[in-house]
Amino acid sequence: MISVLFFGPVADRIGSNRLQAEFRAGMRLQDLRDELAAQHPQAFEIVSMMAVNGEHVRDLALPLLDHSEVAFMAKFSGG
Amino acid sequence: MHDVGGQMSEPVRIQSEDFSQDEEIAALKGSSRRMGGIGTFLGCARDFSEGRDVEQISFEAYGSMALTEMQKLRTDAIEKFQLQDARIVHRIGTVRGGDNIVFIAAGAEHRAAALEACRWMIDELKQRVPIWKKEITPQDEAWVVPHP
Repeated sequence: MISVLFFGPVADRIGSNRLQAEFRAGMRLQDLRDELAAQHPQAFEIVSMMAVNGEHVRDLALPLLDHSEVAFMAKFSGG
Repeated sequence: MHDVGGQMSEPVRIQSEDFSQDEEIAALKGSSRRMGGIGTFLGCARDFSEGRDVEQISFEAYGSMALTEMQKLRTDAIEKFQLQDARIVHRIGTVRGGDNIVFIAAGAEHRAAALEACRWMIDELKQRVPIWKKEITPQDEAWVVPHP
């Protein structure tokens, strides 16, 4: 399983701050994003940042490992 | 109470409670006697934004990643600007107009590096650190869309 985290404005649009996604061999970040964006199009309209296991990721071709923690995030507004 | 950064003496912290600039600067100065200049930035909550009164601002963070990113930011700034030391403290939870939000301090041998590093750290923090703010007005509440 992959833990998917949402925060702030994205979590509000999804109605949850965490969900579990089934891991499939050969899965890439793009696959997970496409799958979730199809289910939650309004939330993914504002997703512009991604992290895997707490590290910024920009390459959607990144292969995912089972038990990864993935965050799809809106642009940050701290400070 | 949230306190992602650990003890008061930790140079990088995320916490719900307020911080003391004097204590942060004293801790920074305590790390080296070679500092000739300390640049600081204090970010505080405005009670007015985009033409509306703001009663409260609520901050949410991806805590573990935000702390790691802030620690990297401090390390990067120390290396890039040859600082003696630097500190970054960011609050989460709910604050009101006038309350402190973020404090950054950079200590260097000379003023130029201290001031430049301080400016660089707050600009980078806004780009790199996963924290989001929501403005709560008498009418409604809305997540803030960052300025470019």
